[in-house]
Amino acid sequence: MRRAYFKFSWIVAALLAPQLLIIFVFFYWPSAQALYWAFTLEQPWGGGNTWVGFDNFKKVLSDPYYWGSVRVSVIYALATTVLAMTMALTLAVFVDRQLAGYRAYRVAIIWPYAVAAPAVGLAFQFVFNPGAGIFSYINSVAPGWWDLSKYPWQAVTAIVIAGAWKQVAYSFIFFLAALQSIPRSLTEAAAMDGARPLRRMIDLQLPLLTPTFFFLLVINITDSFTDSFGIVDTLTGGGPFRATDLMVYKIYTDGFRSLDYSGAAAQSIILMLLVMALTFVQFRYVERRVHYT
Amino acid sequence: MIERTPLLNILTHVILIFGLVIILVPIWLAFVAATHTLQAVNAAPVELWPGDQLWLNLKEAWVLSDFGQKFVNTLIVAIGVVVGKITLACITAFALVFFNFRGRMLIFWMIFITLMLPLEVRIVPTYAVAANALSPFQTIMDATGISWLINAISGIEVSLEWNLLNSYTGLILPLVATATGTFLYRQFFLTIPDELVEAARMDGAGPLRFLWDVLIPLSKTNIAALATIMFVYAWNQYLWPLLVVTDRAAYGMVVVQLSDLVPDQQTTGGGTPTWHLAMAATLVVMLPPIAIVILMQRWFVRGLINTDK
Amino acid sequence: MTFKLATTAMVLLATAQIAQADKIKFEYWYGLTGDLGAVVAETCNRFNAAQADYEAVCVGQDGYEKAVQNTIAAFRAGKHPTLLQSFDAGTADLMLSGEFYPVTQLMADTGVTVDWADYFPGIANYYSSSKGEFFSMPWNSSTPVYYFNKDMFAKAGITEAPLTWEGMEAALVKVKESGAACGLAYAPSSWIDMEQFSMAHNVPVASNNNGYDGLDTELLYNTTLHVKHMENIKRWIDGGFATIRTQAAGKTARDSFVEGECAVFFSSIADHNTVHKLKPAFAWDVQMIPTYEGVERHNTVVGGASLWVLSGKTPEEYKAAATYLAFLATKEEQQFLLENTGYIPVTKSTYDALLAEGFYAKEPFINRDLAMKSLTFTEPGPLTRGIRLGGMIQVRSEWTSEVEAALAGQKPMKEALDTAVSRGNEILARFAQTYAGKSFP
Repeated sequence: MRRAYFKFSWIVAALLAPQLLIIFVFFYWPSAQALYWAFTLEQPWGGGNTWVGFDNFKKVLSDPYYWGSVRVSVIYALATTVLAMTMALTLAVFVDRQLAGYRAYRVAIIWPYAVAAPAVGLAFQFVFNPGAGIFSYINSVAPGWWDLSKYPWQAVTAIVIAGAWKQVAYSFIFFLAALQSIPRSLTEAAAMDGARPLRRMIDLQLPLLTPTFFFLLVINITDSFTDSFGIVDTLTGGGPFRATDLMVYKIYTDGFRSLDYSGAAAQSIILMLLVMALTFVQFRYVERRVHYT
Repeated sequence: MIERTPLLNILTHVILIFGLVIILVPIWLAFVAATHTLQAVNAAPVELWPGDQLWLNLKEAWVLSDFGQKFVNTLIVAIGVVVGKITLACITAFALVFFNFRGRMLIFWMIFITLMLPLEVRIVPTYAVAANALSPFQTIMDATGISWLINAISGIEVSLEWNLLNSYTGLILPLVATATGTFLYRQFFLTIPDELVEAARMDGAGPLRFLWDVLIPLSKTNIAALATIMFVYAWNQYLWPLLVVTDRAAYGMVVVQLSDLVPDQQTTGGGTPTWHLAMAATLVVMLPPIAIVILMQRWFVRGLINTDK
Repeated sequence: MTFKLATTAMVLLATAQIAQADKIKFEYWYGLTGDLGAVVAETCNRFNAAQADYEAVCVGQDGYEKAVQNTIAAFRAGKHPTLLQSFDAGTADLMLSGEFYPVTQLMADTGVTVDWADYFPGIANYYSSSKGEFFSMPWNSSTPVYYFNKDMFAKAGITEAPLTWEGMEAALVKVKESGAACGLAYAPSSWIDMEQFSMAHNVPVASNNNGYDGLDTELLYNTTLHVKHMENIKRWIDGGFATIRTQAAGKTARDSFVEGECAVFFSSIADHNTVHKLKPAFAWDVQMIPTYEGVERHNTVVGGASLWVLSGKTPEEYKAAATYLAFLATKEEQQFLLENTGYIPVTKSTYDALLAEGFYAKEPFINRDLAMKSLTFTEPGPLTRGIRLGGMIQVRSEWTSEVEAALAGQKPMKEALDTAVSRGNEILARFAQTYAGKSFP
């Protein structure tokens, strides 16, 4: 991080205390308990547990289907992030040109974020449904070509598109905020120098967006690993034959539905380690290229 | 500044309209579903044009869900989350970026890790905390013998209890305990040019004054963006309110009510797929977030201060 | 402004509570949602209106799974409800934890009379211990049947709905020959294709009498008639007599049926009410699930959910809950449930009274009691009492994933079922290890 300006004083403690207190009580304390289960066989109704060491991890990691789940989770996270951020950035840059009607565009693009989760799944069923949705028109040309229950890659595509759709608004709003805080004088000066609008976007605006870009990259990747089960649950239910059984969805079904708290806890730790590793890589290698000032 | 760029303008509109179509198709389909009868919604192929049942469906969804008080509750929670999150994120990031002290990286990562374990995974122990928010301290005091010491000295039995179930606090606090906002503010504060801080110090401004007079005004658009996102995030909360609120009449939230209308596909048999009502309710539930998005628009103004070196 | 509004509401609520302070309250968390959830809420209102001593506070938890999970979370914090509506697949853990109050015991302790002998044995066996004590209170009950399009059958020259799988295959062939695009709308369902199929054919799902006699249980369904049956289904799909119809494939089996596209689909009798509500434009009816020729038909078992009383509550709350449960068991309340859903009666006296009144002779209830016939076809034996397995949801989903893969042609059906069984056995072993030294009561 950057050079700091002020010396440590009681003010720091006072500023940090509320946040630390809240995350201690509502995050670390409960999480520690949940993660402890990973090393035991926990009885869900609280009748006690047996210590089993790393057995739960061994079991999960020796399951070939689990590695399939890791693979598809990585694919899903990268694909949704790239798709959502590209789309959000493109739209934000063009909305930022403030042509006629940009306010309407702005509201419309943020709109998906306001749709409640239970409704998102259904809306996309209307889109992807091979028999009745928008994609059924493909099937009227090439019968049987589009079938989510048969072709794993199509099921993965469907959840990627739905996941990205939900994320676009999020990235868009922060990109737009960042673009708007680029001082007008800067762009005007460039225009005076004869830079064309497209050139200005690439040379001037994009470098100034890098802090936001980095923020969104990290958040999007983390979110697509940890916050994807709503979409999977309503669209594919993890199928066909486990093709969309994302890690977090598996945690949810094993732990939440089947009451295998210990197995789910072990998987949570693996997921956390994976996301932390990815985040670390991003901080280490991507943040270097970020222009802060 | 006026530039004539007709070609680029056309391109801009083409791209935006294209993006808009992609984004609005699912929403349009949801809207269409809200305007048909149960039979029409469940028939194939999917209806692409609105029917004439919108008003009836809206009325029925409203009556079934008893939304009135729930809108007020959700609004209180959403505002609480927005205010709490922005305040906390801002002061925490400020302390982390502008102060030099040992362990600041550690604290940053400690906060950051909260993003990596979703609530769903830790819901059982989190509920226990919500049932008694002081239980961690009680456990620590018991384990370290402090409770025993207090008891021995003063004769007071230490029994801390703060039940957050069925309360606005219980709904708000766990939702505030994540890192998104802190991270965003960190990113923003890191872009503040050195000169600005130097200038403030020349004027003899202390850290808090600097925060209040310089940083906060500068971060207006960021606040607006974060507030919009957080409002919608809190508004659409589902799993946590479902669990901690059993007194639905007093503290119920809208999306919990909404999902009650959505047929559960896991149930073996039964359950009429009343998607038309679910979608009508979705439209109603969506209105306040949209209103907030429109309201927050005015804050999305181009930065006026020149941060150029 | 908004804050003020909320405060006023809270004050109003507080006064309302004072007025009812003399009533004993108990909480009831239920899983049903949508129109079925509304029926549950209505039973609470009816109970609260019917007497002055107790008040049921009923909270919908949006699905059986969430109801169980949320109750566990609350239970561990000591804030759980007195009553929980839970589905069968979620209760093995609860049974072994012992954190429930068996309803037979509850009724005896609170002095509320319930005639336990009046319950259908198929239902009673399912919800009771080896000593014949009811664990939980049967309420919304169902069993699978198949639904058929009478018009399509008539067009294909089929006069009677087949009761054997051989007959079903012949019917599906005829339906296809008559020009229909879709015969059987098939959705893989472990509950129907594996569990209930095994009951009706009196073949085991698992060792230890389907898990009743111990935790060291192993699955056996890859060694029974079930394998041949699944291979037949695969053959019918490949031959165009059956089509996969799931939400992911584009349309559920029920929707495909209701729209008149497919001639047959299998589901719970609870869908009988839903199909009526969706108003299909053709004549239709239901029939018991078929069995294979040469196999003596046995009873199917009950599905749906039951009501569990949890431990750790006060005697007053238990008394209140017992009164509510007894209220639900009355003929009037069973009839209320039957009229508003597709579920079936749970006691003989109610069923007999309904028959005598001609309840099942008028639409929309005609033939809905075929489910009763299926459920009571034989007296339940050791293999047809039900299934008592831990990790049931995972066991089911292993079955589903593997069957899906086999149906898509990724592997032979037998290999798929073998894989599902060996993975399922690992789940059972893990469950046994978690509850080492315990056994089902």
